[in-house]
Amino acid sequence: MSGFFAIALLLAAPLLLAATGELLLERAGSIQIGLEGTMLIGAFTAFAAARSGAGPHAALLAAACAGLLAGAAFAAFAVAGRADPILVGTAWNLVAAGGTAFSYRLLAGATGSVLEVKALPPFAFGLPAAALAAFFVPAVLEVFLTRTRPGLALVAAGDNPLALEATGGSVVAVRTAASVAAGALGALGGALLVLTVSPTFVEGVTAGRGFLALALVVFARWKPLRLVPGALLVGGATALQYRLQAGGGTGIPYAVFLALPGLLALFALAAARGRGGAPKALGTPAP
Amino acid sequence: MLPSLELRGISKRFGETQALSEVSLSILPGEIHALLGENGAGKSTLVSIAAGRLAADAGEILRNGSPVSFDRARDARDAGLALVPQHDLLIGAASVADNLAFLDPNAPFFESPAARRARVIRLAQRFALDLGDANARVDALPVGTRQRIEIAGALTGHPEVLILDEPTAVLSPDETAALFASLRKRADAGGAVVLITHRLAEVFAGADRLTLLARGRSVKTCRVSETTPEEIGGLLLAGAEGETREKEKDFDTHPSKHAARSAANQPLPSLELTGFAPHLASAVRTENVSLSLSPGELLVLLAIDGNGADTIARAIAGLERFSGRVEVGGVSLPPSGDPLAFRAAGGAFVPADRREEGLVASLSLEENLALPDPPGRVFLDRSAMRAHAGDLLASFGVRAASSTALAGSLSGGNQQKVVLARELSRSPRVLVAVHPTRGLDLASAAAVRRRILDVCRSGAAALVITADLDEAPLFGAPLRVVTRGRLSAPLQPTTPVETLGRLMAGLAA
Amino acid sequence: MTQESAARRFVVAAIALAAAAAALVGLTLLAGASPIDALHALAEGSVGSRAALGETLARATALVLTAIAASLAFRAGVLNIGLEGQFLAGAVAAAAVGPLLSGAPFVARAGLLVASALAGALWVLPAAYLEARRGVPEVLSTILLNLIAAAAVSGLVRGALQDPRGDYPQSRALPDAVRLAPLVSGSRATAAIVAAIALALLVTLVVEATPLGLKLRATGLAPAAARAIGLPGARLRLLAFSASGALAGLAGGLEVLAVTGRLYDPFSAGAGYTGIAAALLGGSHPLAAAASAMLFAALGAGSSAMQRDTGVPGALATIVPGVLVLTVLAARARLTQKRA
Repeated sequence: MSGFFAIALLLAAPLLLAATGELLLERAGSIQIGLEGTMLIGAFTAFAAARSGAGPHAALLAAACAGLLAGAAFAAFAVAGRADPILVGTAWNLVAAGGTAFSYRLLAGATGSVLEVKALPPFAFGLPAAALAAFFVPAVLEVFLTRTRPGLALVAAGDNPLALEATGGSVVAVRTAASVAAGALGALGGALLVLTVSPTFVEGVTAGRGFLALALVVFARWKPLRLVPGALLVGGATALQYRLQAGGGTGIPYAVFLALPGLLALFALAAARGRGGAPKALGTPAP
Repeated sequence: MLPSLELRGISKRFGETQALSEVSLSILPGEIHALLGENGAGKSTLVSIAAGRLAADAGEILRNGSPVSFDRARDARDAGLALVPQHDLLIGAASVADNLAFLDPNAPFFESPAARRARVIRLAQRFALDLGDANARVDALPVGTRQRIEIAGALTGHPEVLILDEPTAVLSPDETAALFASLRKRADAGGAVVLITHRLAEVFAGADRLTLLARGRSVKTCRVSETTPEEIGGLLLAGAEGETREKEKDFDTHPSKHAARSAANQPLPSLELTGFAPHLASAVRTENVSLSLSPGELLVLLAIDGNGADTIARAIAGLERFSGRVEVGGVSLPPSGDPLAFRAAGGAFVPADRREEGLVASLSLEENLALPDPPGRVFLDRSAMRAHAGDLLASFGVRAASSTALAGSLSGGNQQKVVLARELSRSPRVLVAVHPTRGLDLASAAAVRRRILDVCRSGAAALVITADLDEAPLFGAPLRVVTRGRLSAPLQPTTPVETLGRLMAGLAA
Repeated sequence: MTQESAARRFVVAAIALAAAAAALVGLTLLAGASPIDALHALAEGSVGSRAALGETLARATALVLTAIAASLAFRAGVLNIGLEGQFLAGAVAAAAVGPLLSGAPFVARAGLLVASALAGALWVLPAAYLEARRGVPEVLSTILLNLIAAAAVSGLVRGALQDPRGDYPQSRALPDAVRLAPLVSGSRATAAIVAAIALALLVTLVVEATPLGLKLRATGLAPAAARAIGLPGARLRLLAFSASGALAGLAGGLEVLAVTGRLYDPFSAGAGYTGIAAALLGGSHPLAAAASAMLFAALGAGSSAMQRDTGVPGALATIVPGVLVLTVLAARARLTQKRA
């Protein structure tokens, strides 16, 4: 059973990183529904770095850098450019899915053979340090939001942007910074997938995890610490699905297990009573 | 004595509107200075310039006699000026302690919750303000407490000049008294306080000097003890209108007389409120209202904005939740708020915000006028729409290039006529109109009033909300003044304007 | 006013086309191919021959339908991002019902398409319900329904719907008599594209020229005003949700009926998402969205040929629509701000 828990934790970690980043961005008042795309960018960057000789930790770092750039690019459109973030995020997913598939083809050639990369070494409980660290990131965010001055400015940007402007802050600057941080966390989440779960890249390797992370934020009602149980639940459901895929023969239709994470997220959304706890200025343009 | 803050010859223009022309204002240390004026007189613009939020087109600002210039809000704060603006400055989702840390320019980067709570206690003691529970979420607190938190926040930087933009608009009398007590303490300690308000009673009870603005100019500055509420009230009214309106002489066709007749043979009231109160957390709490309008009857609710009259109207129209009972033509409306039920019962509504709620700005006039039930069995009957729109636009005197012009391209007055045309074309049983003539020129305003009187003559009941003291009697109908959510007894339209003004300002009649 | 917005539309289109062209050229260079050769292959593969044109039209069916589905929803203010899931639901219904239908091919086709449309409409209902009753943003719920639909397809083609002949994860094929035959021999285009274009015209008429369409537009443009005026906002939104879902479901059904003949895994190449991109490019006008969808279909067909001939990866066909939409969104936002 310990194997099952290790896999559940391993599967929860990327979700948790991405969801924490998204939560940070949403608390600042923007929203990136193209998180799936950002995770793909991180996954591919880590893969490409590892293929070109970087060690797994360097690959992780490369993915984080790509995520910073991705977050800045998103902010250029949806924060400074004041385009509707939902629509930008939709297009973002297309560009990221297409872009990573395109680059992967260039890297791998038309062979179609699976290219392995070196996975992150285990640190404790059979899990790499980066995956374990993921479980502390929500706590760091909680401290940032509740105990620091920039944390207050960020909350103000998402709750009452006019108040932030009136006290001399800049909503665009705060949301851009949040987007950059969220990009890095999302990309790290994607990179963890490639560097732990299955040490290779395939098109669409994130398999909807970015969307699940979005739902987790609502489920957590925009409170960082509440992301952890949600991520563990979805991670556990996915681990269960893998186990049954390998074992087979439960009588329960296989499709139900495939759909389990998505179904759980949907029920969580319904249970969370929608927008309860959402930042007041979520999705509105900066003043 | 050198003024703490002096503004000299300040002018500011927004597009076509000259918001301020060569306004001067000087604030002495140790005084509470009231800044008075009607809506749109330029008070908020003036203090925004003083606090570095806006740049003036011309004029200069002096602090303790030496010229200063503010590029940013921060510069003004560093120079010892603090502004508490009209809009909410607080993070609703955060605690009192977090909000005061947010408003403190010298708060450290990292601060424990205990240190933040200690700040609340410190500020509450130093400024003698009741700031409530430090851990409470701000959006759950009463407006008075939130106001005090904002003021405490503004005071953390130890400003010499504190500017408050309409701090009392949403406060109860007790809360207002408490606010003035703490402001007085500040002034006695040598600080200067600038206070924007509509309420003459407060000015005469608590301020030292006053400056009156009208249409972007300073009209009068004097010590409060040198003048009377009557004089200032008169100047306020004169300033707001600029000219006296010729009152409509049509008192013979007084709608309420007609109502008295029809009420006798038709006992069913058109609009009846029983123990009614809107639910709106952020607004003034309205006391339970009971009133009844018979067919043909018109009632004018007269109130300064923020006293809850518009919320009463919106709740009747199904746009806010309410408690108690609302009946339109004998049909009880759901308290959860349902505009469809209100309309199905024969209600029509003219909202205050015509751009947001009255019209669909990016649809054409004929499309707007065809809503909510456009003609046509399968396809839109465009020719019927055009004819309908043409009739209404002509009969309401709307100035538009054509009926296919976008509603958003019209001037405010013409937009208002379009809204009224649409609502009245449905032959309503009850008309609820909020500020139906606001922003209209005199001729258009008279035309709108005539339309409302006409619809009453044809048997509809009407409830009109207005903030215009001079206009209210022109309907020739009973009036009730709303202050802080409470309705006065019905008043005759012949009640002197001075009496109405005193009632509106919260002074006893 | 109208002239100004026409000029604005032209500027936006010009900027977007320039960005798309730059992306195309940049990506082919990145792939080490000559842009001229690549663009030639792209043109040849999309409109260069009867077969190429047929390929474009075959791909266009699903995209045109999802594009008008998205346009209809967006015009009513409903952010249905779940067209992909509704498309899959329609395809599943077609694959489940298709082999069971007997009788005249016409009747079987009609039955299959009705089932697809119904399935698409049903698939969107949870999102509509959660939005109306529990305030769950439809953006999130429809996206999750996409994931669930993809999982369901994956499971069904290995379970209940698996073709008993053979071990492949795919459903039984539709009878040849039921499948739509090509319009012209040597081409993959069928009557489905005609149906899709007809539906685009129909949706345009409904949106622009019927009382219902006017109400939908008013609700989408100014929800607060629509509410105050007395439009039944909740009912109109539900209608837009389900009509949009039905159109996307129909797209899935037609894909099975006209193109694939069966369900397999993974079934969709992102028709739902590309349809949304087409709607955004077309400013949510159904006809403009349908035209954008045709453009994207040509890009898809051409990029396959381009990958074959010049080695430039075909994923280009996903990137370019995304770049186009991002550019259009940014340009529109910028121009709106300038005006304000």
